[in-house]
Amino acid sequence: MNLLMSRDDLIRWLELLLQERTLIAPIRVQGLLLFQPVSKVEDIAFDFDNTTLPPKEWYLPLTETLFSVKSGDGHTELVPATVEREAVIFGVRPCDAKGIAMMDSPFLQEPGDTVYGERRARTALIGLSCKQARPECFCTSMGSAPDDPSNVDILLTEVEDGYIVQAVTDKGKALLPQGLKESKAALPAPPEPQAVPTEGIVQVARKLFDEPYWERLADRCLHCNICAYVCPTCYCFDVRDYPDDGKVERVRSWESCQSPGFTRIAGGYDPRATKGARLRQRFYHKLLYFPEQFQDIACVGCGRCVKACPVNIDIREIINDLQQLGAKSGS
Amino acid sequence: MALENPFVPYLATLKSVMELTPDVKLVGVELEDPAIKAAFDYKPGQFAFLSAFGVGEAPFGIVSLPQRNNSLEFAVRQIGTVTRALHELEPGDTLGVRGPFGNYFPLEEYRGKDMVIIGGGIGMAPLRPVINTILDHRDEYGKLLIINGARTPQDLVFAPEFKTWMEASRTKLELTVDRGDEQWGGRVALVPDVVREVAPSPDNAIAITCGPLIMIRFTLTVLKELGFENHQIVTTLEAKMKCGMGKCARCNLGEKYVCRDGPVFTMEQISQFLEQP
Amino acid sequence: MDLELIQQIRGLCRDLLRNGEINCVIGYERASDGLTARPFFAYEPAAVERLIFDETCTHNLVKYLSDKKGEKIAIVAKPCDSRAINLLLNEGQIKRDTVFIIGVYCPGVVETGWNRKGETLQARCQTCQLLKPVVYDFLAGQAPVRRTEGERYPDILEVESKPEDERRAFWLDHFGPCIRCYACRQICPGCYCPECFVERLDPMWVGIRIAPKENELWQAIRAFHLAGRCIGCNECERACPMDIPLSLLNRKLEKEVKELFDFQAGLSSEEQPPFATFKKEEKLGFEE
Repeated sequence: MNLLMSRDDLIRWLELLLQERTLIAPIRVQGLLLFQPVSKVEDIAFDFDNTTLPPKEWYLPLTETLFSVKSGDGHTELVPATVEREAVIFGVRPCDAKGIAMMDSPFLQEPGDTVYGERRARTALIGLSCKQARPECFCTSMGSAPDDPSNVDILLTEVEDGYIVQAVTDKGKALLPQGLKESKAALPAPPEPQAVPTEGIVQVARKLFDEPYWERLADRCLHCNICAYVCPTCYCFDVRDYPDDGKVERVRSWESCQSPGFTRIAGGYDPRATKGARLRQRFYHKLLYFPEQFQDIACVGCGRCVKACPVNIDIREIINDLQQLGAKSGS
Repeated sequence: MALENPFVPYLATLKSVMELTPDVKLVGVELEDPAIKAAFDYKPGQFAFLSAFGVGEAPFGIVSLPQRNNSLEFAVRQIGTVTRALHELEPGDTLGVRGPFGNYFPLEEYRGKDMVIIGGGIGMAPLRPVINTILDHRDEYGKLLIINGARTPQDLVFAPEFKTWMEASRTKLELTVDRGDEQWGGRVALVPDVVREVAPSPDNAIAITCGPLIMIRFTLTVLKELGFENHQIVTTLEAKMKCGMGKCARCNLGEKYVCRDGPVFTMEQISQFLEQP
Repeated sequence: MDLELIQQIRGLCRDLLRNGEINCVIGYERASDGLTARPFFAYEPAAVERLIFDETCTHNLVKYLSDKKGEKIAIVAKPCDSRAINLLLNEGQIKRDTVFIIGVYCPGVVETGWNRKGETLQARCQTCQLLKPVVYDFLAGQAPVRRTEGERYPDILEVESKPEDERRAFWLDHFGPCIRCYACRQICPGCYCPECFVERLDPMWVGIRIAPKENELWQAIRAFHLAGRCIGCNECERACPMDIPLSLLNRKLEKEVKELFDFQAGLSSEEQPPFATFKKEEKLGFEE
């Protein structure tokens, strides 16, 4: 049963949530649009396309301490990180929600990342259907849709007199305020993003590993990490010990497979020493390796990388190119 | 019982240190918590991360055997910041252990077969528990050929165990170095050339090799010349690792993670990656 | 797009590739939005048909010369870009005889992003002091109409006029969102160190933590490493996904070096940057 929520209802509900939990929502910061904890509901941006960074940093922070080391009197103790915060993230687009769900596969696989798991358990997602598709969007070619409720706890779809509310999970049902009326209205037709030919891309990619295409494409790649950092499904990280003011912390931070030296071992050997090998790795992880393990292509079609890449490395163009190369080389 | 955070190491004490070569030390490590120590079960091929707290951690093959050794043993070659810090530790110091991770040599499947063990330099380390397992169950395996090479005689790893290996039944040990010295009266040749010279038969045999990548490539060529097929050739790989659990997405060879689907691989699984220039 | 200019460039590149004088041309082609430009590497004569040059060609292609060392390369260079070529020549990073410089008379470029093309020239173009490249082997196009010489540093003067704590707050607010993607470094022709100071872990100058204190260190030290070397192409600011006003910071140091040493990077093929030289008659007075 769908419910109807007016704009005033929504504001009141968010204010209630804010009192009980950490409320994270899109906020304008220095001209950027970022998911941040909210202190006042008025700060929330309600009218937006999508944020600069996806909400993944609330599950895999840019930087976090895995544990700290306390030593003294010949005795050492390791103090692991804990998660206490109960949170709600409001304003998540279906593509970003799919990205979060996809990250569960590597992170919760045995042995599970317990801190990530805690964050997932203690965070609820309130999704917001997209009213329009931007030129760089292609979620429907990647198994999602502008109004896909699959990976959120509650999905709101804006209509003339407010929002149609779909409670998707029990967690979502429990969060909703009392007294909402039933909505018999049909859900509006979603916008139609551009189509990208992803059919069979996994099989095609498997054949093209040795193609010179990758070194040529990598000529203009700067290996700057932007694509991976704005991507809802990229999750590579670095781990280092940080001796800081006498206290030792083991810190995990974002890193990406594009960094030179990502795979270089002590002694100097690097299995991905060339630009082409590193660039190919990113696309193969998304289009071949991840789907081979977890069935999903590791891309949700949000288009952030297309917008953000300073040299126009465009995953949609690459998928097109691969399909053409694959057709030429035969089966 | 709450789920353990797999990023947090077990605390361990450094029990013993033995210099094997000018840059390789054999360290023996004992887990502090008796319950964790009792539950820490591992097989040849698996690895663990050693933490020098404040500097970092790195993965090392476990070179001991649960049945033989009370401590966990690792052969640590000094080559970077973490290994340098580990080399500076002394018995009694605290360090961290995370593991065991990875797959293992399916030694039970190899029962009855002739075993050809080919190691170069520090690559001998993960092969040592394989050799010892075969020696501990000598009747269950066929012939054992060990080819062990290094840059110089001082760099031959596990020299204290050579006598035991040589004296085992149906076992041959062939040592070789790239460069000899005044005292060295043995063979001076590259490992792949020794494999060609000794020419082990591929019939009912398994070859396990580990060493510098260039050695593995040339050894692979020689083994194929001798008639070994891809499923008979096994190797163990190293890679830069941060998590050991297939999460940081860095140690992969194609879709296989060295930390989770390896580090033990047959040539069938990885030859496409080694044949590249 | 100036068709005559682009035919000149295409014809020249076709010949250079055909007679094997160069391995590769680094120029521009149309991007996937059909509107803006992106870097393009032409290895075969037929590929030169994809080369373009128009007001969306804001990218500084000189960065790629550091990736292609040892090869014979032709490169399309705007006047600002050509200063970066001088920088690499002065600092011994490339050899003059390995690069064929196709200089272009540049009428200025507009702000671009993916599928986004500005209407007016970029601020740096409006105050550009150069009409033509400072070093070239071939000059394409025609001299543009002289632009009004504006005050080069109005936005810097504005920040300079604030009291210290306001300035500190201004910069910390901007460095806060930095995600340490290092795009600014990767896109900068002047950042070519095989191991950047930030990758050094022993000693650990900055480390991997992505947090305000570390971000501040990263930004400040990189700015100082570019002092007297930055040629003002603005690529760092264009690339930054978090809209940090990097050009402001780098041009501030350019201004300081100009005032202290009367030096601007990349204007001459021979002159050494101030921090790589010492002259007895240097001015060492500091203003209050």
